[in-house]
Amino acid sequence: MGYKKPSFIENIAEKMGIIPNLHKEGYQKFDGDMRQFSDEEVAKMYENFPPPEKWDNWVEYDPKVWPKKEKKEYQIIPTTCFNCESACGLTAFIDKETQEVKKFEGNPHHPGSRGRNCAKGPATINQLTDPDRILFPLKRKGKRGDGEWERVTWDDALDTIATRIRKAILEDRHNEIAYHVGRPGKEKFMNWILQGWGIDGHNSHTNICSSGARFGYNLWYGYNRPSPDHANAKFILLVSAHLESGHYFNPHAQRIIEGKMKGAKLATMDPRLSNTASMSDYWMPSYPGTEAAVLLAMALIILEEGLYNRTYLENWTNWKQYMKARHSDKECTFENYIAAMIDEYKEFTPEYAEKESGVKAEMIIEIAHKIGEAGERFASHNWRAAGASNLGGWCVARALHFLTTLTGAVGAKGGTSPNSWNKFKPTQPNPPKPQKKWNELHFPKEYPLAFFEMSQLLPHFLKEGRGKMDVYFSRVFNPVWTYPDGFTWMEMYADESKFGLHAALTPTWNETAFYADFVLPMGLASERHDLNSYATHGGTWVAFRQPVLREAARRNGKPVKLTYESNPGEVWEEDEFFIELSWRIDPDGSMGIRKHFESPYRPGEKITIDEYYQYIFERVKGLPEKAKSEGITELQYMQKYGAFEIEKGESYKVNENELSADQLKGSKVDPENDVITKDGKAIGVMVNGKACVGFPTPSRKNEFYSQTMVDWKWPEYATPTYIKSHIHNEKLDKSKGEYVLVPTFRLPTLIHSRSGNAKWLVEISNRNPIWMHPDDAAKWNFKTGDLVKMNTDIGYFIDKVWVTQSMKPGVVACSHHIGRWRRPQDKIGNRWATNTVNIENDGNGGWKMNTMSGIKPFESHDKDSKRIFWKDGGVHQNITHAVHPDPISGMHCWHQRVRIEKPKEGEQYGDIFVDTNKSHEVYKEWMAMTRPAPGPNGERRPLWFERAFTPDKSPGGCYYIPKDEQ
Amino acid sequence: MKYGFIIDNRKCIGCHACTTACKSEHDVPVGVNRTYVKQVEKGEFPNTRRIFSVMRCNHCTDAPCVEICPVEALYTREDGIVDFDNNRCIGCKSCMQACPYDALYIDPDNNTAAKCNYCAHRVEVGREPACVSVCPEHAIIAGDMHNPSTEISELLARQAVKVRKPEKGTNPNLFYIDGDDASLIPEATAKSGPGLWNSQARGVGHYAKAAEKMLHSNDDVDLLQMSIDNEIQAAYQRKDSENPNYIDVLTGKARRVYDTPDKGILWGWEVSAYVFTKAIAAGAFLIPFLAIILGYEVSSTAKLWSAGISLVGLALTGLFLVMDLDRPDRFLNVLLRPQWNSWLVKGGYTITIFGLLITVWAGMTFFEIKTGETVLLWITAAFAILLAIYTAFLFAQAKGRDFWQSPTLPLHMLVHSVMAGVSIFVLASLIFGNESWMDILKNTMIIALIVNLFTMVTELTITHPTTAAKTVVKMITKGRYKNLFWVVTVMIGNIIPLVFLLVGNSEPLFIGSAVLVLVGIIATEKIWVEAPQRIPLA
Repeated sequence: MGYKKPSFIENIAEKMGIIPNLHKEGYQKFDGDMRQFSDEEVAKMYENFPPPEKWDNWVEYDPKVWPKKEKKEYQIIPTTCFNCESACGLTAFIDKETQEVKKFEGNPHHPGSRGRNCAKGPATINQLTDPDRILFPLKRKGKRGDGEWERVTWDDALDTIATRIRKAILEDRHNEIAYHVGRPGKEKFMNWILQGWGIDGHNSHTNICSSGARFGYNLWYGYNRPSPDHANAKFILLVSAHLESGHYFNPHAQRIIEGKMKGAKLATMDPRLSNTASMSDYWMPSYPGTEAAVLLAMALIILEEGLYNRTYLENWTNWKQYMKARHSDKECTFENYIAAMIDEYKEFTPEYAEKESGVKAEMIIEIAHKIGEAGERFASHNWRAAGASNLGGWCVARALHFLTTLTGAVGAKGGTSPNSWNKFKPTQPNPPKPQKKWNELHFPKEYPLAFFEMSQLLPHFLKEGRGKMDVYFSRVFNPVWTYPDGFTWMEMYADESKFGLHAALTPTWNETAFYADFVLPMGLASERHDLNSYATHGGTWVAFRQPVLREAARRNGKPVKLTYESNPGEVWEEDEFFIELSWRIDPDGSMGIRKHFESPYRPGEKITIDEYYQYIFERVKGLPEKAKSEGITELQYMQKYGAFEIEKGESYKVNENELSADQLKGSKVDPENDVITKDGKAIGVMVNGKACVGFPTPSRKNEFYSQTMVDWKWPEYATPTYIKSHIHNEKLDKSKGEYVLVPTFRLPTLIHSRSGNAKWLVEISNRNPIWMHPDDAAKWNFKTGDLVKMNTDIGYFIDKVWVTQSMKPGVVACSHHIGRWRRPQDKIGNRWATNTVNIENDGNGGWKMNTMSGIKPFESHDKDSKRIFWKDGGVHQNITHAVHPDPISGMHCWHQRVRIEKPKEGEQYGDIFVDTNKSHEVYKEWMAMTRPAPGPNGERRPLWFERAFTPDKSPGGCYYIPKDEQ
Repeated sequence: MKYGFIIDNRKCIGCHACTTACKSEHDVPVGVNRTYVKQVEKGEFPNTRRIFSVMRCNHCTDAPCVEICPVEALYTREDGIVDFDNNRCIGCKSCMQACPYDALYIDPDNNTAAKCNYCAHRVEVGREPACVSVCPEHAIIAGDMHNPSTEISELLARQAVKVRKPEKGTNPNLFYIDGDDASLIPEATAKSGPGLWNSQARGVGHYAKAAEKMLHSNDDVDLLQMSIDNEIQAAYQRKDSENPNYIDVLTGKARRVYDTPDKGILWGWEVSAYVFTKAIAAGAFLIPFLAIILGYEVSSTAKLWSAGISLVGLALTGLFLVMDLDRPDRFLNVLLRPQWNSWLVKGGYTITIFGLLITVWAGMTFFEIKTGETVLLWITAAFAILLAIYTAFLFAQAKGRDFWQSPTLPLHMLVHSVMAGVSIFVLASLIFGNESWMDILKNTMIIALIVNLFTMVTELTITHPTTAAKTVVKMITKGRYKNLFWVVTVMIGNIIPLVFLLVGNSEPLFIGSAVLVLVGIIATEKIWVEAPQRIPLA
C-alpha cells in the first residue's frame, strides 16, 4: 500500500531519486495527540465541535496538503452571520500563522442555530475574500453616477457628513436627515443614535417586506411578528417558504422538520411548488391573493363543527365588545357570539374557497379538521408571501391568527407566540428620549396605520416636492435594484436637489452605491459589532456579532482602538462610525446630543464600543452570574461564546401572568371591559377574577373586533375578512394574455443583493427564468428556453421561459434575487453575478436597459474568477414593477399584472423598458385608495400601535396633526 | 471500523449548505464539487414533487477507482474511507471513467483528481465531516457501521435504504433513506439544457483552462474546446434543440431541474489516437510474425521495417498517453509507483517490455544473430497480442462506462491490430519493395475485415444488459455518430476495402484499401472511446 509503505519498485525509485520521496516523514503516521475526543464521541460522529477551552489553540490538519499531515493552528472566535436577519451563530477559524480567517463553521453555543448554518454561512468567507470588495472609504469624482471614485480618509467622510447634519439640525431641518436601512442585523443601536440626534430619521425596507403580515398580526394582539413553536407542534400551516427562505430560515427550518419527524403534519399555501411545499404533507396551490378566503373557510368549519377552544375564545378575545358593537340587538352570550361569527362568515364555504383559490374543497376540510384536532399545538406563519404581495394581503395574517385564537394556540406550547416573548430587549447607556419630530416623508398622513415607513414611496414623495433629503444614508440597502420602480429611485438619486448628500454604508458594491457621494465600507459578519436576539423558537437568546480579528488581537495582547485597525483595508463598522459621527455633530455637547454617547463608566469621555456592549450585557438576566462563575466580565463571556441562552423555552402563555401587588397598586378596573389601568395607561385585564397582564391592545385581549379600524375609517374591515387582490382573476383579461406574476420567491442560497459577491453561492444560482405551467406555455407555443416579453403596468422585461409542472396554471413566477447589473463605467462590483448593461434615458421618463454582456471570467487575486463557467446572469424584473402601496398596511403589493407575449423581431434577452411617468400615475392611483389621518383625537396614528422609533407621544406634540393641517 | 454515510431524505430540504461547507473546508475550485444536491421534479400539477439527492463519493467497499488507479493515488483506508493523495496522481482520469457515480473531478489548481474523502483530516482528529456538522436538518449521518450502537447503524438496521447502481458490484457505503429512483438513476431524467436557476456556458475542472482562454474573447464564440453533452444555451443565442424538458413535462415524466456543471469528455482525441498507434505497433510485428509461422521467409529489411514501425508506433503511443495526462511531469509514476491491479500499469509495462523485446529483435536482426530468435519471436508475439488488447481490459475496469464492459472488445482490438498491421505493410512495401510473404496480406485483410464486421455487428445488435449501453448503441447507429459510423467506419473503413479486395485485383486498389482501412480504424476508435463518455453518470 503506497500510502503506508511503498512497493518494492517505488522504494527503489524513490531512494534513487528518480521520483520524489513521498515517504520521508512517514507522513501517514497516526498521531494520538491529535485525537481530541473520546471513543464514544468519535463513534457518535456528530456535534464534535472543538471544546471552548481549546478555542485559542485549536490544531487541525491542513486539508490542502492531506494526506500529508501538516498541523494548522487556529484561533476560533465566535460571531454571527450577517447575511439574513436570523443571525445564526458562526465561528471564525483564524489561521494563527497568517492571521486571516480561513473558514467559518457554526457556533454550537447559539441556541437558535445550534451549530448549523444554511449555505450562506460557510460562504461568508467568499464575501471576505471577494476581489471586488470595497476596502477604503470612497468619494465620488465627477457627477453622481459617473462611476469614478477616489479614496478618502474616514476623517474626511466623518467631518463632511457631521458638518452637514449639524447644520441641518441647527436650522431645524431635522426631517431632511435620514438613515435608510435594508438589513438591520442589529438591535436598537440606531434608536440610540437617531433619537440621540433628536430626529425622526429612520426609514427601513419593511414595507416591501413584511408590513402586511405585521399589520394583520398587530391588529389582533399588539405584537407584529409571530414566533411559531414548530418543534412541538402537531400541525404546521405555512403561508410562506420557511424551509428555504425568510426569517428565520435556518432556525425555523430545523424545527419544522424536527416537528415533522415527531409526527406533525405540514401544510403549505403557495401557488408555486417551493421546496417547502414539496416537503409538505399538503400543498395548497392557492391562486395568489385568495389565501384569506381559504383560511376563513377553515375557520368556518372549525366554528360550525365545534372544534374551537371555548375557554380560550371566551377568556381571551374581545367577543363582548364585538357583540355590543355589531349585535347589540342580541343577548351578549358566548353562544350568540359563535352564531354571529358563523353568520358573518357563512359565504366562506369550502366550495366558495375552492372557487376562489383552486384548492380542493376536500383538502380544505381535511386540513381544518386537522387544525381543530391539533388544538393548541397549531403552529403557523405568514411573513411575506401572500401577505406581501396582494391588495389586502394583511388579511392573511389576520385570518391565520384567527385560526390560532380559535384553537387557543396563541402563546401555547407547540402553538404560535408573539415574537417579543422570545426576544431580548437591551438596556442602553444614557438612552435618549423619544424625538419630538415626525417625518412625513417616512410616515405620511395618507398611511396612518402603515407598519413601518412608506419607504417605497420616498422617491415619489420627493418627485411631488413634499420635501428633500439633505443628508441621506443608504445602509446595507439597495433600492435601485431590490425595490419596485428602480428607475424612479435612479432619477431622484441623481438629482442633488432631492438628495443633497448620499452616503452608502455597505460591505459590497451595489446598484444604489453607484449613485452615492460617499461609499463607506462597513464590515461583514466577522468584522463588526452587533447585538442579535430573534424569536427562532420558544426560548430567548442573545448573540454577539464581533470583529474576530480585533478580538484575536485583544486576546493576543495587541488591542486596537478602532475596528478598522484590525479589519481588511480600512473596513469599519456602523457602531463606531455613528458614535464618532455623533461626537462630531455636537463636539461641545451644546446640542444635547453628545451626552448620550458619553461613557457610563468614565463620565464626560467618549463611549467606547466595548463599554457600550459591556453595559448592555451586564443587564442581561442570568449573564452576570454565568460570567462570574468563569471569572470573566459579561462582555468577555459574550466575546468567548458568542451567544447566551436567557431562557430555555418555558415562556408560554405570558398573557396569563398575573400582575404583582406592586403593579396593581393605584390601578383601577373598568367595569365595562375589565381592563386594568394605572396612570392613564392600560396594564392588564381581569380574567376570571385574576389580574392578568394580557396583550398590549386596547382591550388587553385578542381583538376579533377592532374598534381601531372603525375609528380610522375602515369599519368594513373591523373583523377578519377577505379582500380581493389587485390581481384577482376578475381583474385580469386572460384573452389579452394578462397573468399574475409572482416575483417574490427566493432561493435558499441567495440573500437579495448581498450574495452576489459570494462565488460559491452564485455558481449554484445565477439565472431567473419565468416559471410557467405547460397549459399556459402552450398558448404561445413556448418551450423551455424561449424568450418571453413580460409587460407590466409601467414597462416590460424580456426573460426566458421555464416550463414546469411546479407552477399553478394561470400564474407565472420569477425569482427575486437574480438579474444584477453594472454599467460599463462600473469597473468592479459583484463581477461574479453582474451583467453589464447599457442604460438610456430619453429625458422624458422613458428608460431603457439592455444587456451588453453576461457574466464573464475576470482576472483577480482569486484564481477562481477566471473559472466562471456561467454567463447568464438573469434579468432584473423588479425595476419594471410599479409601486402598489396597500392603503391600510402600507405594504407594497408585489404581485404584478403582466401581459405576456412573444418578443418582437430584434427584441433581446434582458431588454428592459420603463416609463417613470406611468409609474408615478400608478402611485397616484393607489394613493387615491387611502383614508388619511387624523384619527378620532387628531393623532397621526393609533397610540397603541407600535411604531418604529416611536416619537414623543405627548398630547399636542408631534404625534398629533396640528388643527390647521387637518 | 467501517465508515459510511446516510442521506436521510425525510429531512433533507435541498438547501445546499453541505455544498458550500465542503467547498469551504477543502477550498474546492469553482465549477467542480465534492458534494452537491441534484434536484429532480416528478409528477403533474398539483401532484408534483421536487426530490433532492445529495451526491458524492460512496466510499465503496469494492471501489473501482482504487482498482483502476495506476499509481495508488486512490486507496482505501482501514476505516473504510476511500481517500486520495494528489502527490501521486498523474491525471490519467481513469478513475473518472471507473467511478460509476461521477464522484471525481480534476482539480484545476493542481491538475490532479479529487473527490470527497470523508474529511479524513477531520476524522483523524475525531471530528465529523464538514457537511455533517453544517446540515440544518441533520440529514447527513456519518459514523461507524460496525458499531451497532451508533446512529448510522441503528438507522441502517431499522430503515429501508437504497444505494446508487447496486448492480455495479461496487458495494457503496452511502445509503439513502427515502431515496427515489427518479433521482438516483441517471437515465431516469435527461441531462440537457440550463437548470432551474443555473446554466453552464464554459468548461469546468479539467476544462477550466479552456474557460480561462475565453477570458478575453468575444462572448459569442463557439465553445467547442470541450465536448459536452448538454445543449449550451448562450445567453444571447438560442439554438434549436429538442428540449426534452418540455416533452417530459407534457408527459409527466421526471425531469432534472438542477445539476452541477458537466465536466466534459475526459478521454479525448489523445486516447483514441493512442489506441490507433498502438494497433499499428502491435500489428506491425504480428503480420510478419504470422508470415513466419506460416512458413514464409521474411527478409531482414522487412524485419527491421517491422521493428522500426513498431517502435515508432510505440513512441507515438507513449507520446499520446503522456499528452493525455493532466500531470505529464509525473508520467514515470505509472511504472515506478505501480498499483498492479490496474490495467494501465499492466499496459504500461507491456509497452515497455514489448519495446525492449522489439529492440532486442531488431538488434539481433541487424547483427544477424539467429540463435533464440524463435523463442524471442513467440514471446514478443505474446506481448504484441497483449499490447493490442490490454486497452480492452482497461476499458472494462472503467465501471462507469457500460458499453466498454463488452467481452468482444479484446477481439475488436486484436482484429484492428491485424488490419492496421496489414495496411501499414502495404504502404511500407511501397518504399522498401514487395516480398513474397506479402501474398498473405490480401487474404489476411479480407479475413480480418470479415471478422471485424462480424464483431461490430454482434457488438451493436446483441441485447445489452443496461440502458446506458443501449443508449450508446443508439447514439452510434442512429444518433450523433451515425454519419461517422455508417459512412466512415462501415463503408469507408470496411465495406469498400472488402469489395476492392474481393473483386479488384490491382495494386492501386490494394493500396487504396489500406488507406481506407486505416481511416476506418481512426473513426472507430474515436467513436468507441468518445460515445460512452456522453452518458451521464449521475
